[in-house]
Amino acid sequence: MDGERGGNKRSERGFSWLNGGRVLVIDDEEMICNACAQALRKEGCVVETAEDGETGLDVFESFCPDLVLVDLKMPGMSGFDVLEEIEKRDPKVVQIVITGFATVALAVDAMKKGAYDFVTKPSTPDEIRAAVGRGLEKRRLILESEALRLAQEKIRRNMVSLVSHELRAPLAATVQYLEIILGGMAGRVSEEAMEMIDRSNQRLREMLNLIGRWLNLATFDPLRMAEHFEPLNLADLVGESVAILDPAAKVKGVTIVTESPENLPPIKGSRVALKEIFTNLISNAIKYNRDGGWVKVTLFKVGEEIGAEVQDNGIGIGEEHVSRIFDEFYRVDGRRNAPVKGSGLGLSIVRTLVDAHGGSIELQSKEGEGSTFTVKFPKRQTESEGGSLRTRVSEGFRS
Amino acid sequence: MMGKGKTILIIDDDPDFSSAIKRILTSAGYDVRMAGDAREGMKALEAAPPDLILLDVMMEHYDDGFNMCSSIKHDDRFKEIPIIIVTAVTEVTGLKFDPETDGEYLEAEALLQKPIMPNELVRKIEELL
Repeated sequence: MDGERGGNKRSERGFSWLNGGRVLVIDDEEMICNACAQALRKEGCVVETAEDGETGLDVFESFCPDLVLVDLKMPGMSGFDVLEEIEKRDPKVVQIVITGFATVALAVDAMKKGAYDFVTKPSTPDEIRAAVGRGLEKRRLILESEALRLAQEKIRRNMVSLVSHELRAPLAATVQYLEIILGGMAGRVSEEAMEMIDRSNQRLREMLNLIGRWLNLATFDPLRMAEHFEPLNLADLVGESVAILDPAAKVKGVTIVTESPENLPPIKGSRVALKEIFTNLISNAIKYNRDGGWVKVTLFKVGEEIGAEVQDNGIGIGEEHVSRIFDEFYRVDGRRNAPVKGSGLGLSIVRTLVDAHGGSIELQSKEGEGSTFTVKFPKRQTESEGGSLRTRVSEGFRS
Repeated sequence: MMGKGKTILIIDDDPDFSSAIKRILTSAGYDVRMAGDAREGMKALEAAPPDLILLDVMMEHYDDGFNMCSSIKHDDRFKEIPIIIVTAVTEVTGLKFDPETDGEYLEAEALLQKPIMPNELVRKIEELL
């Protein structure tokens, strides 16, 4: 009697997750399939079965299960391959492996490939129900946290657009008035007043610009960016940046040279982000240069890394500034009347974007002689390693 | 003058912005009417359809402009009236809507970022009228 009551209690607790859960069983042994299906249907699960990996994957697509029970040892497609494929298609689906020879090593291998738990053959119906019950509970937690994340993201984005609007709208209206006075549409103004209005207009426009850049940084989400990674040719991207900046370089009397080895492998990244990186670095190299100076962009592949060196023979950066140059709002010459004006955001944005690509950035500089920024991206980025990148990025940014 | 006889309706909840834009447009010879929110805008539209509409995005609600744009473009009486969306919000906010790329969601004829350069505004309007 005691044993039975204990069983009922467990049933109330652990098995409550089973009701309505969609479970797919993939096993070449019909008996196992049937045993699992029977044990689970009894508690309200909707169960489909498949006798091999390929069929299992087909059923997976049409059935959309919450949980998959998969036999590790099957003829044809192995259980490990099925695990991996399902993990790739939808990592939110919980997978439990069935194994006739439960060794720790096998279980660990399966966990590494994305399995949540394992059951051994033969198992009692209660054991199967208990494992699947835990798995479905896990599935519900995954779905709930996903929904929560999406809701939070929505709130954050609405918040940002509101803040952005409240900050920008008054500035925009003010600048709008100044433009009208400057355009002569509000009657005659003395030359002196005109100059002041012109300066005010410029300062306010700088501020508008700064708010835009700051928001860019504040709302940057590396995970969202990683979702849009594509194979990119660095030489093309650098070429595009150089084309945009060449007119400004000519005005300053600065020459830009680019060099790239043939057959440089593509890297996986965000086109917009990489262009922002190179445009920032090259534009700095022009801004902080001297008349008749040069900027040299050299692409390279060393070992497992692909990268670019942006070198200039401009004014350089003093040793005391090098360690802080990538900090937000840090400016080497913080004076309001500095000859070259910057927001102090460019390089911090560059570093954030390089980090999001799993890369690194370094600066070597000598005051009066010039600076060399070296950006490196790991070559593994060129292979599809979305999963590991995801983890790495989320560890790096969300802590 | 270029704009003679043509009427432009400005729908914006920022009176300073509206009055600045009004100055630009009257200088260019347009007749200008103003509405301070979506409801007022709709009333003005029904009273006398303008030749072009300048429409702010974020008014009382952050998407008033989008909704209004959509209802104008799905109203047989008004759908031929060109709309220029004006906004102080940058693409950063995720509200990156451009008629060129997001025509399906934003059926306006053009989008201009506040502050608007006076000659850019006048050129855009001439192009659309």
